[in-house]
Amino acid sequence: MHIERKRSWQLPDSAVTPETVYLGRRRFLGACALGLMAGALLPRLVRAATSGFPDSLDQAYQLSGVKLTSYNDITGYNNFYEWGLEKSDPKVNANRGWKTDPWTVEIGGLCAKPAKYDVNSLVKAMGGIEQRNYRHRCVEAWSMVIPWDGFPLAKLVAMAEPKPEAKYLQFTSFMDPKNCLGQRSNDFPWPYTEGLTLPEATNELAFLATGIYGKPLLNQNGAPMRLVVPWKYGFKGAKSLVRIDFVAEQPRTLWNEMAPNEYGFYANVNPEVDHPRWSQKTERVIGAGVFGGRQPTLKFNGYGPEVAGLYAGMDLRKNF
Amino acid sequence: MKLLTRVLSRKLVALAILIGIGVWLLLVPALTNQLGANPLDRLLHVSGEIAIWTLGAVLSLTPLRVLFPRSTIVNALNRHRRYIGVSACVYGLIHFSCHVLYQGDWDDLLQSFTKPFTWFGLAVLSILVVLALTSNNWSVRKLGAKRWKLLHRLAYVAAMILIYHQSIAGKGHWYIARWLLLSLLVLQTARLIKLSLTRRSKLSPVSVKAEEVSH
Repeated sequence: MHIERKRSWQLPDSAVTPETVYLGRRRFLGACALGLMAGALLPRLVRAATSGFPDSLDQAYQLSGVKLTSYNDITGYNNFYEWGLEKSDPKVNANRGWKTDPWTVEIGGLCAKPAKYDVNSLVKAMGGIEQRNYRHRCVEAWSMVIPWDGFPLAKLVAMAEPKPEAKYLQFTSFMDPKNCLGQRSNDFPWPYTEGLTLPEATNELAFLATGIYGKPLLNQNGAPMRLVVPWKYGFKGAKSLVRIDFVAEQPRTLWNEMAPNEYGFYANVNPEVDHPRWSQKTERVIGAGVFGGRQPTLKFNGYGPEVAGLYAGMDLRKNF
Repeated sequence: MKLLTRVLSRKLVALAILIGIGVWLLLVPALTNQLGANPLDRLLHVSGEIAIWTLGAVLSLTPLRVLFPRSTIVNALNRHRRYIGVSACVYGLIHFSCHVLYQGDWDDLLQSFTKPFTWFGLAVLSILVVLALTSNNWSVRKLGAKRWKLLHRLAYVAAMILIYHQSIAGKGHWYIARWLLLSLLVLQTARLIKLSLTRRSKLSPVSVKAEEVSH
């Protein structure tokens, strides 16, 4: 007998919107989109490097019982130190003529098929994009829920065909000190780098995002393509990627280099392991208001069923 | 210049500026919904920064007076040391209140008290509260000038701890703290050099005046 075991993120059929309603919704949305296209959004949608792909919510990642953070908050409250230290800085500074279109991403290192891609053709090669609602937990103890658009990182890994000696992926953000004020300061070892183990990178949740709320990523969110690993603290999600390399050794990562006692390589969301300066047991929900209080932080940001196996037998206190 | 000095020496002007900073940077943004997505966090940071700069300002006044004893502007500002010091304490208290609100409830607040980072902030605030409470003339009389002065030297201890508190607040960078540290160190060094020079030769009337003022 075939017994199907449901994954924690799989919803019952009853939760699925009937197809006719769903298709009708899309027609409605299509009409809206046309209306919008006639309007002010046209320049942005046409110009963005990753625009022009049909997109719909992956029902497996709908995430029930949570409220999506507003587009305004997601695009106005950003840690993107290249463009300023205040959360409100990137929205202003990253949109002063910084060009993220056209954009080239290079895939290299220990893989059979290293290549340079125009980001738009890379998305095409990945079979387009889908939408996933992910929890986002910043190491600074605040959280959002973000509807990302993009494709699974595992697809890119499969396409590149990693060699057997490849154990990690290194992600490198743009380097442009001429146009980027923050990168002219030597307080940080620019460019921004991040890393994942190969099993982490091929986990179903690891995602390369090209949009939010169905719109191409804005510069302050890491246009045109960024990493999203929802079971890890937000800083692992390197923005505006220019390189993805397969490597044999654990790669250097910027925050780990800056403060190794505060930011580990794994950086898995873990309420049991405090940051040296604050507790990670709870988090402030962005958009909940001044008296919105806090909610408990979930281990692996609630994605334990999908990712806990990656760390079986590992001391998460030591490998924080 | 004379007009500026006269305006600056007014107690009311000093009070208006010290309160105005808070109104402009904290109250107005709060009332007009300009604090962004995480309003309390923003208030927490801005109030902390105001407290740092106010404490830095009051601590630079004494060395400035020694270095420029005849500057009318420095002397005008020196009239307000008490106000500036007390407002550093007030902004520190606002900062702490934001911290309490930001934690949300008792459990989280108690959690925050387990972190040395929080202890350093609390240590600074405790000093500032003691100094603010003893900033009145009655306390000076009661304690005696010598003991009062000794007690109020704790402001330097507070500044040192505060610089540490702020420098670890950033993720590995310390933009504000290093400017404060640099300016306070330069001013104090210059002050001490000048004092030791004037002690050696008490001939020039200017240095004698400086010596008197500093005591």
